[in-house]
Amino acid sequence: MNCESASKCRVTAFMTSSLGKKFTVGAAGLLLCGFLLVHLAGNMFLFVGEGAFNHYAELLAHNELLPLAEAVLALLFIAHIVFAIKVRFENAGARPVAYESYDDKGGRTMGSKSMSYTAALVLLFVIVHLKTFRFGDDKDGLYKLVVDWFHNPLYAGFYVVALAGLGLHLSHGFQSGFQTLGLNHPKYTPIIRKLSIAFALLIFLGFASMPIYFGFLGGPR
Amino acid sequence: MKLTLKVWRQKGHNDKGSLVEYQAKDVSPDMSFLEMLDVVNEGLIKKGEDAIAFDSDCREGICGMCSLVINGKPHGPELGTATCQLHMRTFSDGDTIVVEPFRARAFPPVKDLAVDRSSFDRIMQAGGYVSVNTGNAPEANANLISHHTAEKAMDAAACIGCGACVAACPNASAMLFVAAKVSQYALLPQGQPERAKRAMAMREAMDDEGFGNCSNEYACEAACPKDIKVENIARLNREHLRAMICSDE
Repeated sequence: MNCESASKCRVTAFMTSSLGKKFTVGAAGLLLCGFLLVHLAGNMFLFVGEGAFNHYAELLAHNELLPLAEAVLALLFIAHIVFAIKVRFENAGARPVAYESYDDKGGRTMGSKSMSYTAALVLLFVIVHLKTFRFGDDKDGLYKLVVDWFHNPLYAGFYVVALAGLGLHLSHGFQSGFQTLGLNHPKYTPIIRKLSIAFALLIFLGFASMPIYFGFLGGPR
Repeated sequence: MKLTLKVWRQKGHNDKGSLVEYQAKDVSPDMSFLEMLDVVNEGLIKKGEDAIAFDSDCREGICGMCSLVINGKPHGPELGTATCQLHMRTFSDGDTIVVEPFRARAFPPVKDLAVDRSSFDRIMQAGGYVSVNTGNAPEANANLISHHTAEKAMDAAACIGCGACVAACPNASAMLFVAAKVSQYALLPQGQPERAKRAMAMREAMDDEGFGNCSNEYACEAACPKDIKVENIARLNREHLRAMICSDE
């Protein structure tokens, strides 16, 4: 890499450009979608029973590669959030005088319009979620910790609302990631847009099924 | 038709500006929106008042000079239509219509509904051209291109550079405009020699003008009077990435 000066360095130029920042947000976002799928699959052991779930949790906790995976995950989260916030603030300055009346002629969706709000909700959720489960006291097994918390209707309710926010975020974010990476095709883009809704629903219903089952449908302790 | 207009009046760049109400009487449904404004202006001039400033030129939807955000929608409610081709029959008798300029930091106000869109010209100067020596027209079959690709290039080249994409975008991003211009050359054989340089230069010029960043809301595509598709934005993303990674220019 030829980096004689900052302006000549390709990586710096790309990362500070409008398209580079969006590329980072999109690529990190899509990789985080992959994490969500794996996380959801693992969590399904919660429905199998205490033994199976605790075994899975211990297997994960004792894996030597876990710190590396967590570091990569944290990096993805931070990159996604930092660049998205940077882009959001720049965008706010791009129209100093607001319209007296504004109405789009189409294109925008409930998901796209609410990205900043759902992002804030998901961030709050991640903080609460990590505090209770990743850094919580699980000396009686992770199953007991999770299920006890989910029996608190206030906590379970917050989870369902936050996961609905995540679903809304993904309904726009998933297909948006492909567009930002330049992956648009007359044949595949309509499918990707439908897949985006399906993925959002899967993640919302999949994750929300756990607090709903234990918090509201009388799932066992 | 009788209409109530709420028009944005602003004396100049440093004036704050506000909506002023006007009554438009005897409006024919066959008038274009701009002709209706002409009639309102005639009335204002007769009364010795300052006429409403707005941009227009060809009035047949091909020059990109007309603008206006009508009831919150760039170029009004009709899809694929410029303001000059918008007819008053689209509205109902007694309607109240809010008329505002295109708003973006990169489109500074000039007066009333007229804004300075020369930021688009500067983006074009950065790379929206093909450097060839002029001479006789070459033999038509000398440049090989498929019909399908030629059509796609023509679809992108239909962009009239009016700025409705910027006006419609919640982020005031100029991505659809730049994407259309980069695409039309990236698809044609004549555009190949400067392909990488163009993508980087036009993106840089766009950023320098202070437009917002694209967040794939697709409001631009819906507002475009020439139906430019957002697949061009994906192509710009590809072209820019390709230029950054593969080109040594």
